[in-house]
Amino acid sequence: MAVRIAILMPAYNEAELFSTLAELAELHRDRGEAEICVFLVDDGSQVPLAHESLQAAAGTMPVVLARHVVNLGQGAAIETARRLALDSRSTMKSRQIESGQAPFDVFVTMDADGQHRPSDVLELARQVTSGADVALGNRFAGASNVPRSRRLLLNVARIFERITTGLALSDAHNGLRAFSPRAIARMRLVHNRMAHATELTHQISRASRAIGANCVANRDSDSDRLVVVEVPVSVRYTSESRAKGQKASGAVTIVVDLLQGFLFGKGSG
Amino acid sequence: MNVEITPAAIALVGLLAALLAYDITTLKNHRLLTLQIVVFGVGAALILCPEVARRLARAFGIGRGVDFVLYPLVIWLVRESLLTRRRRHEDEAKMTEIVRAMALANAHLVGGSSPNRTAPSQSDASASC
Repeated sequence: MAVRIAILMPAYNEAELFSTLAELAELHRDRGEAEICVFLVDDGSQVPLAHESLQAAAGTMPVVLARHVVNLGQGAAIETARRLALDSRSTMKSRQIESGQAPFDVFVTMDADGQHRPSDVLELARQVTSGADVALGNRFAGASNVPRSRRLLLNVARIFERITTGLALSDAHNGLRAFSPRAIARMRLVHNRMAHATELTHQISRASRAIGANCVANRDSDSDRLVVVEVPVSVRYTSESRAKGQKASGAVTIVVDLLQGFLFGKGSG
Repeated sequence: MNVEITPAAIALVGLLAALLAYDITTLKNHRLLTLQIVVFGVGAALILCPEVARRLARAFGIGRGVDFVLYPLVIWLVRESLLTRRRRHEDEAKMTEIVRAMALANAHLVGGSSPNRTAPSQSDASASC
């Protein structure tokens, strides 16, 4: 039986979006392994996404499009996509998640700038259907052309998150992540901008019980703790993803946002 | 109590007067304007008569008159800065919820197995997923 995957995709002025959608549509159409539905949130792009172009790229793959009238940030867009996916069929409440009647088997967060490969989405989904609750992409274990400066920055982020969240990840800020229905229901992002990645790690850390490398223990259905694994993925560094990716100056903004969130509580930092 | 007219005093009092003149012509809030006139008036008096600030400072155990003005000013500015940040944080959170609610309410299906349909409701769209 095909695995039912909800893709949570934020988009802001993405030139590579249509090719990403076309690749996902190919998986949806051809392989028969996955039924994919994309929950796309246009985060206030200067030129709103054209329905015709989206339709042409998506083909038979359903895409649910929501639009922020102003740009809020990637974290806010992922949270909107998450709520959209969980609200689908207007009836998916926690009772149904527990009884295994969720409309999707796997929820995947994925960037729209073409850096993530749809084939990796399938691998992450496989890990979740095999028993993991959270499968995190690890670009350092896959065939990724990570630029040296980005590698250094990500290592600093990894150490920072190890200290602040207690979770020892190999790749702290990889946007390709897969969640089981019960895991996605427990994630709730309040940081609007790039600090959402640290926030997500923190939430996973609090809810998880184990972390392994591409190796998952059987889920203990009685346990409330989530099982977390890291999965090797390839990240393609395009000119667009290099231009929009995190920079050293952005790291300062993330720390300030986290500090504001700590000081002022739930908000939008 | 001597009035000390120095070039710095003239510049500072001139700046206060110009700001006040501008606000009198633009501000409609009379209470705020009255408060501003009082605060600026006290400020101008302390600039022109620094001996007053010196005496007050000594009475409070602070060495210099300027420090007597500066210390509370810094504390007030830090507090204002934190309050402003908090307010901005709260406003942004509210705006996020409004923008998100609009986005969720207007979400619709694009593509999918029924390409002829345009902009169905969210529940319709989701049913197709």
